[in-house]
Amino acid sequence: MEDLLGSAGSILESTVRNATPLIFAALGGLFSERSGVINIGLEGLMLISAFSGVVGAHFTGSAIIGLFAALGAGLIFALIHALMCITFEADQIISGTAINLLAVGGTGFLMVTIFGSGGTSPRVNGFGSVTIPLLSDIPVVGKALFDQSLLVYLMYLLVPVVYFVVFRTTFGLRLRATGEVPEAVDTAGVNVQAMRYYGVALSGLLAAFGGVYLSMGLLTAFTENMTGGRGFIALAALIFGRWNPIGAAGAALLFGFAQAITFRVSEQAIPIEFIQMFPFVLTIIVLAGFGGRAIAPAAIGKPYRKE
Amino acid sequence: MSEESAGGGMTDVVNAPIVLEMRDVTKRFGLVTANDDISLVLHRGEILGLLGENGAGKSTLMKILYGLYKPDEGEIFVDGEKVEIHDPKDAVARGIGMVHQHFTLIPPLTVAENIVLGAEPRKGLSLDMDEAVRATEELSERYGLQVDPKARVADLSVGIRQRVEILKALYRDVRILVLDEPTAVLTPQETEDLFAVLKELVEDGLSIILITHKLGELIGVGDEITIIRDGRVIDTVNASKTNERELARLMVGRDVLLSVEKGAYDPGEVRLAAEDLTVHSATGEVAVRGVNLEVRAGEVLGIAGVDGNGQTELAEALAGTRHTEGGKVYLDGEDVTSLGADARQVRGLAYVPEDRATKGLVQDFALYENNTLKTYYERPFSRFGVIFPKVMRRRAAESLRAYDVRPPDPGARAGSLSGGNQQKAVLARELSGDPGVLIAAQPTRGVDVGAIEFIHRQILEQRSEGKAILLVSLELEEVRSLSDRILVLYAGRIVGEVGPDATDEELGLLMAGRGVEEKSA
Amino acid sequence: MSGSATQGNGSALGRIVSGILGPLVFPVIAILLSFIIGAVIVLATGNNPIAAYVALTEGAVGDPLALGRTLLYTTPLIFTGLAVAVPFRAGLFNIGGEGQVYMGAITAAWLGVLLGSLGPVEIPLVLAGSLLAGFLWGAIPGVLKAYFGAHEVITTIMLNYVGIYLAYYLANNPLRQKGPIPGTESIDYAARIPTIGGALGRANYGFFIAILAAIVVYLLLWRTRRGFELRAVGLSPGAANYAGMRLGVNTVLALAIGGSLAGLGGGVEILGVYGNMDVPWVVNLGFNGIGVALLGRNHPFGVVLGALLFGGLSSGAQEMQFVTNVPLELADVLLAVILLLVTATKLVELIVGKRARALAGARLEEGLGS
Repeated sequence: MEDLLGSAGSILESTVRNATPLIFAALGGLFSERSGVINIGLEGLMLISAFSGVVGAHFTGSAIIGLFAALGAGLIFALIHALMCITFEADQIISGTAINLLAVGGTGFLMVTIFGSGGTSPRVNGFGSVTIPLLSDIPVVGKALFDQSLLVYLMYLLVPVVYFVVFRTTFGLRLRATGEVPEAVDTAGVNVQAMRYYGVALSGLLAAFGGVYLSMGLLTAFTENMTGGRGFIALAALIFGRWNPIGAAGAALLFGFAQAITFRVSEQAIPIEFIQMFPFVLTIIVLAGFGGRAIAPAAIGKPYRKE
Repeated sequence: MSEESAGGGMTDVVNAPIVLEMRDVTKRFGLVTANDDISLVLHRGEILGLLGENGAGKSTLMKILYGLYKPDEGEIFVDGEKVEIHDPKDAVARGIGMVHQHFTLIPPLTVAENIVLGAEPRKGLSLDMDEAVRATEELSERYGLQVDPKARVADLSVGIRQRVEILKALYRDVRILVLDEPTAVLTPQETEDLFAVLKELVEDGLSIILITHKLGELIGVGDEITIIRDGRVIDTVNASKTNERELARLMVGRDVLLSVEKGAYDPGEVRLAAEDLTVHSATGEVAVRGVNLEVRAGEVLGIAGVDGNGQTELAEALAGTRHTEGGKVYLDGEDVTSLGADARQVRGLAYVPEDRATKGLVQDFALYENNTLKTYYERPFSRFGVIFPKVMRRRAAESLRAYDVRPPDPGARAGSLSGGNQQKAVLARELSGDPGVLIAAQPTRGVDVGAIEFIHRQILEQRSEGKAILLVSLELEEVRSLSDRILVLYAGRIVGEVGPDATDEELGLLMAGRGVEEKSA
Repeated sequence: MSGSATQGNGSALGRIVSGILGPLVFPVIAILLSFIIGAVIVLATGNNPIAAYVALTEGAVGDPLALGRTLLYTTPLIFTGLAVAVPFRAGLFNIGGEGQVYMGAITAAWLGVLLGSLGPVEIPLVLAGSLLAGFLWGAIPGVLKAYFGAHEVITTIMLNYVGIYLAYYLANNPLRQKGPIPGTESIDYAARIPTIGGALGRANYGFFIAILAAIVVYLLLWRTRRGFELRAVGLSPGAANYAGMRLGVNTVLALAIGGSLAGLGGGVEILGVYGNMDVPWVVNLGFNGIGVALLGRNHPFGVVLGALLFGGLSSGAQEMQFVTNVPLELADVLLAVILLLVTATKLVELIVGKRARALAGARLEEGLGS
């Protein structure tokens, strides 16, 4: 029995760790897509932030500076996407793809330029585990939930905060309206382009937290292509969660859980590759069941032009 | 100062101060003059009706007032002061609010959220929803516009959504309210409710402009009525001193008839028939209710009516591009109700759709490709899955010349042609297969005069060759000059059949829904 | 190749010139701009951009060995570029090129071994298998879109990962070779695509297969009934519907054909270059295919040109790194910037003015008519 509880605890711990970057990125995607701009560049945003965080920490020895460097990089890349899609009316999917490619190429290039070789960067100070007294003593779940990186605790806070911002503030109301009926927002005197820029910028910042967690929370170095599709899984979580912060977080936890049991199921039972496939297959099933993007913000993907 | 109003309108209101004046407003779109030197006066506490047919210019005028268009000439005065209105925000700041025909509501949000958007009450960092709800309830009570502030707009009926639109304007303290065709989407009961609300508003000191084509309603609720036709103000009359016949005559008018030679009327067998046809619109509402009609060989049957009364859906259902909910369509006696457009085409039905840009032609295809859009898989254009562009081009070249398409270049991109030439290209395609039946919906919309004449001649030529033609058009003169018989469509029903020599009054009344009992054709 | 859909008036010569040059405006500007940006980046890292670009060019076409390397990189990009271009013509995004390549590749790795040592006659059989595998993998998102309304962008991205992991599973288990190295068995040398030989290094005849594929795609799109329908549906679903064309069937076929081209590319890579599929097998062909397709304005011959550019850049970048110490990843950066710029049509409009934009065609994704 104790063994089972112990397993449950460690599975929970893994689940939270795996889900954290997904939740950050999904929340970021939420702001962008709710404002009407498709953002499939979350993968690239996470990657460039993961890298920038490590670079910042490497040269200053400070994890916090690294974090700011990551946020900056995420913001800049997101603003490029915003500029292309909102002001230059580029195709949002192609722009997102380009951001991903730019991040891959850029990190590869800079790895060699800065660190002299590809592969893995030197180790840096990261955001290691911090134990919260009292809470971490709760049986079974205590250690899993409250002996994690600071970034994880930030994630706990962020989910309700994002919910509040999106559904209980003026900004959130206008953001949601912009993604549904931009004409109505325009005639109400609110600047549609500005709202969309805010939405995309926020996606850059939040995805950056996700990236930093990968390179400075879970690990303490940057490895090429370390995002490994997480940006897309986050997008899937967002869709699965119906563009709602609680739903997206729940979906991300489900995906995190799937990744957590990867190493606990014996090879004979289910081959590892099928478990790795699981989040992606699940997303496809969800999309097929819910009629794809039928429930997405109505005005998503189309540039808004005044009459 | 103002008396309690009864159906006939307040005669005193014309003595009230003027809250809005639009003077000599002119607006052109290219060669088309939508508003030609229009002047309009609105008194405080008045309900001014703006009456006119589709395309008369009423909507354009109001869009200028609301800041969506800029006038080429003319001035606007609010409370005696000259103003410049650059966008809706300006208009609202000046106390002018507009309830559009197509609502700008956000379906997933609640009533209160929709109303306060852009001017939200706050409490610290958050949106003060309680205050928004309270404000909504207060306005709702005051003006008799019952709504549930917490309901999602997506769940509401059209009538209630309209109330939300009105509340949106009222929340922003407008003093002048413009309603664009508000009763187009309402049931008779909802219409009554709306007018009761309007009277309340006016008691409170608001002034209202009501845009409509339903002249019967205006007599009931308006004080004065300004009639607009072809971009010009025809007259302004006192509602209590006029009647429907006079309004109909003013609205429809008597313009110069386009004279085209028409051969003798010698109808043959019935080639196209509809039996108790019921069709839903794209939004799921009933657009065509139990329509019966017959078109014979050698005749042109015209369908007249104001836009939005089901013409589009009727044409589509007959052509096979829209599913029917009930009833049948017969082509030369065969029941084709379940067949698609291409199958009907094979059986000799040609269709010139209303929307040539997105439904009639592939704008980025060459003319020769468009010309074979329905026949590309047949010989001689194709064999064993392979197509022969050279053959297509040759055929197209002949066809384009025969139908006066300019330039008659098979390789030209369809979108590069003018509206009239595009329409002729569609006609060329549809008629080249020598169909027995032709359905033409708005065939000369957006087309220059020369092309209009050509198209009309083509239609009459087909008629003298013994084809059966169904003409659906918003242009009364077109319907009159080409048709042998005219059916008037109102609210999805055929409300009357007249001949091309019917008076304007007769037609106008039928089109406004004041017709005689329902007839079958 | 004169445009079939031209802007009407004007002399025939004028139309041919604007037909070819017009659509080139965007890609050329995007390329030029991105090279300028690249030069700035090179400067910022303390290197000489001129030297870097010279080395880049030499490494791409400077000598037969370089040329051979360029052809080697170009070949698969032609396939994945076509895999994106065909569905684009039907109005669909195929981002699933990567997964479709893997499915074609693992099928080739399997069939190549299964058929033993039949010699060169195996090649068309194996490639047919790869093509079929890609066809089926592409049909999946097609069906999901046509009959379940699932947007193909997300489903194709998801299927990339599913395809890769599925291929790895097969390579690690049923098809695994004996010994410690993960991967499939090597295919008999007699059954592989031969190299062209001479001074061209490892370049193989797969390049010509790719050119052939481009020609077939051209014929498909402009000389067959199916191609006519695909293009009509892509340009105006409303008019196509009114003309009686069925959207569902065309959606599925468009994506399936796209998948088959990528699958074929995967097969050609296995038979021509690798001989088996190792685990891991990293090729990054799918996303670059998008850039190639867009650069080539979704026209098969444009795709070939675009693939040559991308291939040349990748090949040249190696020489550049060798000679000047500028990391070869600069090529990836350049390609990403090109992709970004080539879709921002309004930006290009700002630079060259509205008239040039009209000349070049209003929407990038339409590509050339022919």
